[in-house]
Amino acid sequence: MMNFDMGDEIAELRQRLRALVAQHIPADYLGAFTDDPADLAVAQRFCQMLADESLLCMAWPTEFGGQDASPWAQTAVREEMWALHEPRGAQYMGVNWVGPTIMRHGTDAQRQQHLAPISSGTVIWCQGFSEPDAGSDLASLKTSAVRDGDGWRINGQKIWTSYATMAQWCFLLVRTSASERKQQGLTIFLIPMDSPGIEVRPIATMMGPHHLNEVFFDNVWATDADVLGDVGNGWGVVQEVLSFERVGIARYARCERLLQAAPGAVGDGWDEIPEELRGRWAQSLIDCRRARMLAYRVVERQNQGRVTPADSAAYRIAVTMNDQVSAAVLIDIVQLMSPTTPAAQQWVRAVEDHHRYSVSATVASGSTEVQRMLLSRSMLGAR
Amino acid sequence: MRIELNDDALEFGEIARRAIGTAGGDSLIQHVEADPATIDDALAPVLAELGVLDLDVRGNADELEAGAAFCRSVGWWAAPGSIAERLARPADLPADALAVLNGPRPSARMHGSTLRWVGADLDGRRSALSARTLSTTARKAAFVADVDLTSLDHNGAADVPLALTLGSWELLGLLDRSLALTVAYVKERKQFDRPLSAFQSVQFQLTDAEVERAGFEALAKYTLWSVAGRRDEALIDALALRVAGLQAADVVFRVCHQLHGAIGFCDETTISWLSRASQPLRRLPCSLSGTRAELTRRMGRRGLTGLFSSVPGPPASE
Repeated sequence: MMNFDMGDEIAELRQRLRALVAQHIPADYLGAFTDDPADLAVAQRFCQMLADESLLCMAWPTEFGGQDASPWAQTAVREEMWALHEPRGAQYMGVNWVGPTIMRHGTDAQRQQHLAPISSGTVIWCQGFSEPDAGSDLASLKTSAVRDGDGWRINGQKIWTSYATMAQWCFLLVRTSASERKQQGLTIFLIPMDSPGIEVRPIATMMGPHHLNEVFFDNVWATDADVLGDVGNGWGVVQEVLSFERVGIARYARCERLLQAAPGAVGDGWDEIPEELRGRWAQSLIDCRRARMLAYRVVERQNQGRVTPADSAAYRIAVTMNDQVSAAVLIDIVQLMSPTTPAAQQWVRAVEDHHRYSVSATVASGSTEVQRMLLSRSMLGAR
Repeated sequence: MRIELNDDALEFGEIARRAIGTAGGDSLIQHVEADPATIDDALAPVLAELGVLDLDVRGNADELEAGAAFCRSVGWWAAPGSIAERLARPADLPADALAVLNGPRPSARMHGSTLRWVGADLDGRRSALSARTLSTTARKAAFVADVDLTSLDHNGAADVPLALTLGSWELLGLLDRSLALTVAYVKERKQFDRPLSAFQSVQFQLTDAEVERAGFEALAKYTLWSVAGRRDEALIDALALRVAGLQAADVVFRVCHQLHGAIGFCDETTISWLSRASQPLRRLPCSLSGTRAELTRRMGRRGLTGLFSSVPGPPASE
């Protein structure tokens, strides 16, 4: 018999997370990446508090300090955190996939060096993947690492690198040899961001500061000890990284929270809102539920070891559209209201932030076009 | 958490699909269209063999899942016989089928049927139904007849979400099949020396349709669970599912017709029959905008039950 109730344990986990956010995160918090450095400090403190409460790396195996939490507990954490403006800041990247990838492919020394700082919430990682000429077609990247004595020299440029201004480490994908297939000859390096020769240039964006950066590598020195996995096998590692991220951020959770709060924020004027707009509001709530159910399908299939790129592609297309359509509906609602209370005004700011951020939804972490290509390949079979 | 139908229900759905295929498959609707008086008998051997009408869809969640899987298989073949309505028949009235009614000129998929029909409107008011004589052909009417009502009671509140949801499962089967046929067609049909499936514009239309279909399927499972548990919000959930289903049907049939080209309008293709057979399910008891308006009205300020439905919004004034 089907059962969509996650159970009391997860309900308690949600309540605990909400209580911690209410206690430790300011009411007007809209994420760590604002012009106010205090917001980043809030996220850093929150992460360390989560670590102290054994909530930061719940999904990790116990041997690495985690709790072997169920996929549904991980899902609940992902939903709660994104809905509440991701008070973990940039940490989700280290927790969700940098740490697990190092567990699987790292040397003992790398595990020793990197896992404890991630699980204690004291380190920020950035991901050096995209380049100016290698976006959706990532394997075309040109940043290179060339043998130099007993080490490597790295040269090139990365772009759209989130958190590079604040990260201490970079999970960097570079080319170490030319080969017939461009997916071969790629290697992962774990590089300290304060290495000589690294320059970070922030990119001003409509989403706000610190979201995107360019990172330049000018003769950056690395050793064999900085290589993750085998030289030349970076593409395989990246595919695994992507498999950790099949569900990605739970965009539907923030959409749902903002939509559900709309009538309360508008107040008595809600019934005066045009019927057409209230209909779109209802439709957006259905879209949230639909995206959530598609996410759960991915989680369940992942748990059973039979998830396909097509499963996550269908979900991602649905959830990114949900993000943008809900933002448009909410902005329409905002235009018709006069927020008088601090709480309603804060809701309006959250909606405006959601609207700005949603613009990137169909581009970030694999564009909608790439998702459609993956899905159509699966639908049509070998051609 | 279990978000997939139970294994027996899945197997039952597969067996049903094969059994309906063996009983005539695509030809069933064609025969009944030619002779609507056979509508109650078209699936009778399959219903009897599999014990479909013995399923306790109201009292047993596993059997409700089996019933939903059967409806999906009925949709796959566009098989006639108003099976969703028959499975949703009231338990407390002498009736063989239940139709959800709406609007000033209610109608139901009951042309040709001699069964005992009951109707329930969205507020649970139930009536005995009798079909009027068709003013058009069975082909045009797609087995839908205007009905006359004899008021019975106000006890149909639990009937409505069940009937709406089983109807959605039948619609889901129609979308499954339409998309499967279209995928097969674009792989086979060549233009400009290439199969249609080699064109990205074709691929992307298919993915648009599949995202809608897959989302509808995922919601159909959630809603079935809500109905099985007789949750307070079951009617809201059933209406929400119907909105998603009607939206999906619009996209899926638009894409399937477009990619079939002119042959898709012709009765020699199955898509033509599926598309017409989907119309009553899409229009009754109310079409997309009508269903959404009904949902919005009933939701009020509460929204949908979900992750944050219990969290009150910020106060408008203090």
